[in-house]
Amino acid sequence: MANPVEQFKIEPIVPLEIGGVNVSFTNSSLFMVVAVVLATAFLTLSVKGRALVPGRWQSMAELMYEFVANMIRDNVGTEGRKYFPFVFTLFMFVLFGNLLGMIPYTFTYTSHIAVTFGLAIVIFIGVTIIGFARHGTHYLRMFFPHGAPLATAIILVPIELISYCSRPFSLAIRLFANMTVGHIILKVMAGFIIMLGIAGIAPMVFLGGVTVLEFGIALLQAYVFTILTCIYLHDAIHMH
Amino acid sequence: MGMGIRVGVELIAGIAVGSLIGYGLDRWLGTKPWLLLVFFFLGAAASVLNIYRAVHGLDDSVGLGQAQRRKRK
Repeated sequence: MANPVEQFKIEPIVPLEIGGVNVSFTNSSLFMVVAVVLATAFLTLSVKGRALVPGRWQSMAELMYEFVANMIRDNVGTEGRKYFPFVFTLFMFVLFGNLLGMIPYTFTYTSHIAVTFGLAIVIFIGVTIIGFARHGTHYLRMFFPHGAPLATAIILVPIELISYCSRPFSLAIRLFANMTVGHIILKVMAGFIIMLGIAGIAPMVFLGGVTVLEFGIALLQAYVFTILTCIYLHDAIHMH
Repeated sequence: MGMGIRVGVELIAGIAVGSLIGYGLDRWLGTKPWLLLVFFFLGAAASVLNIYRAVHGLDDSVGLGQAQRRKRK
């Protein structure tokens, strides 16, 4: 039976080293490039016609645009419009990473914590900078709940602060864990089909269901990642 | 499964971040091991706070009070 975690192995395609740091072009980088190229091609080619009555491809692109635009309007408000390019790029990058991974023989870059944590920490640091730039030290007031006695600040503020700092970790681990677990389950189940021969029909039926579930999770995780970005942005922009 | 992963991750993340901050401060201020101990428990409290938020369907707004206000809205 094939090793179920072998699919996550990073293999350098173009070995490269700059200043003692390994910056090889790996299979992970390759699929990131593929995702970016596909997303760009999908969006530019589908709206090329600029039809008033959108065709199939154009309505798909418009659906994505409106989905993210509504998400920003509902969660951040009209002031969030200028962050739309960033949020939309993030959504497409995670979504294409998750969906590309569902094609057999591809590599799922969102199943690596280095990638998801990199994305999460960029969001976290960016949002914190926006918050401090807009509100100055006033932003720190958010960490103290309204109406609590002042004497409790010494314990409440550190707890809220740690809760705030643990957010990029939880965001990154959630995306990574969901993708990794799903792919391992798929691989193990597929191994059972081969091993059981004719009786393999049972795991095969199960595998069909799990594959559908995995597509659902791929979409859901991209959504979760994006909506959390919107919520952080909302907090950084509107301070109550 | 989603909620299970969420709660498990929150539990680890809070404690890990708290301990990491404590360890960093300890190394910086040379007060081994006291700040690590203090921040371990603060981290544990933060992770319970995050789990409380997750199971009550509150979002990830900064500060518990604000998350509750947004939920009511």
